[in-house]
Amino acid sequence: MSFIKNFIEQETVSRRNFLLASAYGISGAAAMRMFGPTPVQAATFADPTIAWSYRNRTNPYWNEIVSGGEAFVESLGKPKEFLTHLINEGSSEKSLADVKALLAKTNGELALAIDTNDAPNARPVVEACVEAGAYVSTLWNKTDDLHPWDFGDNYVSHMSWSDEGPAERTARILLDAIGGKGGVVHLGGIASNNPAIERLDGLKNALKDYPDVELLDAQPADWDTQKAAQIMASFITRYGDEITGVHCANDTIGYGVLEALRAEGMDIPIVTYDGNPQAVDLVAEGKILATVFTNPHWGGGITASLAYHAAVGHFKPSDEPHEHREFYGPTIFITPDDAREFKANYLDNVPTYDWQDFWGPSNGQIMYK
Amino acid sequence: MTDISAQTEPLGGLLTRDRIVKWAPVLVLVALVLLFPFFEFLEDLLEGKDHFYLLDSRFFSIRNAARIGIAAAPALMVAVGVTFIIIMGSIDLSMEGTISVCAVLFAFAFLGWGGTLASWAWLAIPTALLVGALLGFVNGLIHVRLKIPSFMASLAMGFVGTGFALVLTGGDRLRVEDELFRSLLTVRWLNFPIMCYVALAFLLLAWFIQSHTALGRNFYAVGGGEQLAQSSGLNVARVRVMGFTLAGIFFAVGALLAVGRIGIAETATGNNFMFVSITAVVVGGTALWGGIGGVWNTLVGVLIVNVINNGMVVIGLPSYVQDGVLGTLVILAVALSTNRKSVTFVK
Repeated sequence: MSFIKNFIEQETVSRRNFLLASAYGISGAAAMRMFGPTPVQAATFADPTIAWSYRNRTNPYWNEIVSGGEAFVESLGKPKEFLTHLINEGSSEKSLADVKALLAKTNGELALAIDTNDAPNARPVVEACVEAGAYVSTLWNKTDDLHPWDFGDNYVSHMSWSDEGPAERTARILLDAIGGKGGVVHLGGIASNNPAIERLDGLKNALKDYPDVELLDAQPADWDTQKAAQIMASFITRYGDEITGVHCANDTIGYGVLEALRAEGMDIPIVTYDGNPQAVDLVAEGKILATVFTNPHWGGGITASLAYHAAVGHFKPSDEPHEHREFYGPTIFITPDDAREFKANYLDNVPTYDWQDFWGPSNGQIMYK
Repeated sequence: MTDISAQTEPLGGLLTRDRIVKWAPVLVLVALVLLFPFFEFLEDLLEGKDHFYLLDSRFFSIRNAARIGIAAAPALMVAVGVTFIIIMGSIDLSMEGTISVCAVLFAFAFLGWGGTLASWAWLAIPTALLVGALLGFVNGLIHVRLKIPSFMASLAMGFVGTGFALVLTGGDRLRVEDELFRSLLTVRWLNFPIMCYVALAFLLLAWFIQSHTALGRNFYAVGGGEQLAQSSGLNVARVRVMGFTLAGIFFAVGALLAVGRIGIAETATGNNFMFVSITAVVVGGTALWGGIGGVWNTLVGVLIVNVINNGMVVIGLPSYVQDGVLGTLVILAVALSTNRKSVTFVK
């Protein structure tokens, strides 16, 4: 049970660091106010604190992101505990308060990688970092009017993924597999989540080129395996043999769909999203037709790396073109032909990435609608 | 209990308030079962297709009954467990954490001891039940000894459980692929998978405990009037701890069926069980202040909730409407079963 011990030790250390940071933050912020605001300057630091601010580690996806951040820190020859964890538990207020406390503690000598929990929270976080002279890179959430190049060097970069294109491509794989005719159902994520909306839009885009395929139904399954199994069972009642293919918003939904089909002794093609290890196994076995891997490990590492290397002055963000400041993360398609090779290369052995190859695997500049 | 309020309404006859309240959940269930096919009938009628009411219904079919059974079986076990607690006038909100811990420890033990029911790994099943009992026991002790309201004690225990399950798995999922164990879902007798019969067996066991054992009668005694039970010499604290332990065992059975259903044990295995089970118990007609109701009410309640969940999708309504309908139904059920004349204040 040593892994439990390790886990608890890690959590204790990061909790303690955070408490110290918060306590220092309150007094530090008060002291700074006495001497007036610090001047805005793009000074670089010899050894900045490196921090990742995110929701929590219970979700396998965020666990992967943060493990990438730790791998990057270890590549600098430091222990992975050197990475400061700011855990917001889904609260934007806590996210901003933690960042401000850490800025005060480190006096702005900070390289911060952050998902700000929601888009509106990105601006105050970025502005607080810029004012303190820290370097920040954001992931996923920001509003469309907030751009790194409007903040000189301190807002280093933003990475996100557009799921519409990849979801459209998996949909095409599915629609081709069913011979371009019949009916498909879609089981989505939490209805208001952006990726859930984009992944359904991807399917709808693909369907425009397949006039003989009908989208029978689309229901939110809340990224939940058990809920997906129940909804799929109800779909089978409603549509029966009319369903010839299933488009799932992510892998965990796909597992539930497979079990619902198995209970009925049915076997129809499904596609999923995210490229989790279990899903990749199922792709290799031919039970899932395709899934998409977005390499969260690399995303988490490179976001921290960008902030760090800008903070130590290895590159000057404002000299970089826009497509190096706002870009899409990588997407890798996994089909039965390449699933085993993919698993060997990416999952069984996490590759050692060159954390200074900032933009190699990225996917072009972010486009706004 | 019921006799007292019956005397206050001298109308008597067939349609006393008590009779209506007692049979309302069953009537609701029957109405729902007839209502959803009617919507299907209307839909086909508008499209000009031939549709003979009920006979041509996809909802009203054995295959779909089995699907509802699969969805309902784990939730039924959890709801039966919490029924005992609610009969005592307490509440247990620890089910999500308990289920996750039981599911995860079961999977670790099962995979570690051989990975198939045909080996010593079958011992993982009693182990899981024992873990459920232990968690319930601790839950009860905290509630009784520290005198923390059951609502708070069990909610906190639930969080502890979820956290513990996460520490155990580190966020990973454990796959239980054994064909023999998965026959819970894949093997059918008379159109229904084995898990439905397992749930039925445990329901009968719960009914036996409720009506044929001293413990079962004591639950009603505590719920009907704790002071009275105490002064009659009943060890109320002991009954409460045993109640929570028993509930823990039923949560563990629910966890096993949930794992059998999707073949995955993870921290999220317990998700949504709190809402479903408490809703089912209340909609089934077990009163939240204790002393009234029982496991058969809970069966009806679980079926109502799952018939709605299934039927809504079958007639093509989005799932957020389902949550709204279920919420409304809870308010209706409680309002119907509350005798406002006898309740002077509501906490």
